[in-house]
Amino acid sequence: MATETGRSRVGRYGEEFRELFSETWLGYALILPATILLAAIIVYPTLRGIQLAFFEASLLNPNQQTFVGLEHFGTMLSDSVFRTALWQTVLLTSVAVTIQYFLGLSLAVVLKEKVPGISFFRSISMVSWVLPIIVMVILFRFLVQVGFGPVNVIFGQLGLPTKYWFGDPDMAFPMIVLMHVWRNVPFYAIALMASMNSIPETQYEAAQLDGAGPLQRFRHVTLPQISYVSMIMIVLHVIFTFNNFDIVYLSTGGGPLGNTEVLATYVYKTAFETYALGYAASMGVVMLVIMLVFTTVYVKLEDTG
Amino acid sequence: MATETDAATRSGTGMSLSDRVDAWLDEDMSVRRAIAVYAVLGVFMSFLLVPVIYMVLVTFTGREFLYSSQLIPALSDLTIENYEQVLSRGAFQSYFVNSVVIASSTTALTLTVGTFAGYSLSRFDYPGHDSLLVAFLGTQMLPYVLILIPFFLLMFTLNLINTHIGIVIAHSVIATPLATWLLKGYFDDIPESLDEAAKMDGCSQLDILVRVILPLSIPGIAVAGFYTFTVSWNDFLLVSVLSQTSATRTLPLGLQLFQSQNQVAWHLVLTAAAVTMAPVILLFALVQKWVVEGLGSGGMKGV
Repeated sequence: MATETGRSRVGRYGEEFRELFSETWLGYALILPATILLAAIIVYPTLRGIQLAFFEASLLNPNQQTFVGLEHFGTMLSDSVFRTALWQTVLLTSVAVTIQYFLGLSLAVVLKEKVPGISFFRSISMVSWVLPIIVMVILFRFLVQVGFGPVNVIFGQLGLPTKYWFGDPDMAFPMIVLMHVWRNVPFYAIALMASMNSIPETQYEAAQLDGAGPLQRFRHVTLPQISYVSMIMIVLHVIFTFNNFDIVYLSTGGGPLGNTEVLATYVYKTAFETYALGYAASMGVVMLVIMLVFTTVYVKLEDTG
Repeated sequence: MATETDAATRSGTGMSLSDRVDAWLDEDMSVRRAIAVYAVLGVFMSFLLVPVIYMVLVTFTGREFLYSSQLIPALSDLTIENYEQVLSRGAFQSYFVNSVVIASSTTALTLTVGTFAGYSLSRFDYPGHDSLLVAFLGTQMLPYVLILIPFFLLMFTLNLINTHIGIVIAHSVIATPLATWLLKGYFDDIPESLDEAAKMDGCSQLDILVRVILPLSIPGIAVAGFYTFTVSWNDFLLVSVLSQTSATRTLPLGLQLFQSQNQVAWHLVLTAAAVTMAPVILLFALVQKWVVEGLGSGGMKGV
């Protein structure tokens, strides 16, 4: 009797162990294809890119690489185009993300109201977010054409100066900010709205009983509870804006007079138009380091605060 | 507290601005509130939507109207001539076909690997589980322009430059991390008791995925599929490096060449742009309800 139970217990443990073992392997097997793809096409090139930053290499003859150590990073310090691009990237990212967040928050506040037809508004507000970037760029370039672009036609009728804003050294940069804002506000709005909707109604009622008005309730009930989604949205968009290439490249190409040059376009041009792979890679590494530091510090601050 | 507020309201003095706004909003004025909501919505929509609608309207007018300083077309200005011209261009047709082939293949490949990976992350526990998830999402932080240089060399070595398959692989890799995360979120929402029940009935793990999990995650698959399709359809950067001839050129690249070659043919450039955005807009119309919901529930949950 006793031996029988003992044996069956051993058998059962054995079976459980085998099941657990095979489950672990099945878990690995299922995630393997995605992991291989990412490792081969993202992780490996990133590591090679970091390595390349310490070499001199030309796109014309990429297999001939000479080790130059930290030379590229020294070159950067005296490269005025790089410094301008770095400053403009940081400026673009901070200005665009700030405006996006506040506009997204305002849109979220109205989109969460349950007025008739609101779900229709929720959907169509996302159109600018799904458009191809090249379509957005063509649209904005059309809007500000002199003579027939609708914005300039209206400006002309109001007696305001008309100009092809993308070609104006002072206005091209604000136009880039505007496109970043236009494209991404809906994403913030929908995410923040969903986060607001998940706050239990009872918390608002409790706050109201304590005498809190709508503004106070927004500040003390809504804002703290959407801080997690806010953080995710801000981190995502800082990364997106900082690394974004096509919006600038397709609309101004970095001009006029380099006034809209950002790191992504400068790295691309250095690699694929002047063929200096090593120098381009070293600037890419700087971008990577800045984003790593930003994300780590921001997430830490958010966790402790 | 209540008496304080009452006193303040009655006297009307000594109130801070925010208290006064609160007092005004607190009154039950649903009609006024609704009007305010619609007014704000109107401002946002005219900023976000009117430009797009206006662009589409202009593509249905002739060249003369477009280059005039008129803003509103008369009924007699309307024509589909631009569309006839753009759609009959051989180059445009072939870019369209390339875009469809590449975006659909990318979606199929990404959904397959993403479903397996998402299922693995949702239902299995093994050493390295959490770090794999973080690593997947971490790849989204890398600057593509840095990856692009060695990536180009790698594709060159593999003879995948200027091939459809090379572009499909590149697009799939870009879309896989977020698609996996989205799918994992939806799978997490399906109670594990259903898995247990299916296991009792003799289903294997893969049966559970195919017969229990997938049918219940149609919205998640639709959202992840839409996201992937859009990433591939909209991509310019990767295609600009991987595509060298018109045989692999997709619409965004074709459109960029078109707008620089035809500086003056705005009526055709705008029409080509409208055709380029049409498929993603149509797909979005199909899945919009799930996208709006999904960003709230499945997608935005903690890692």
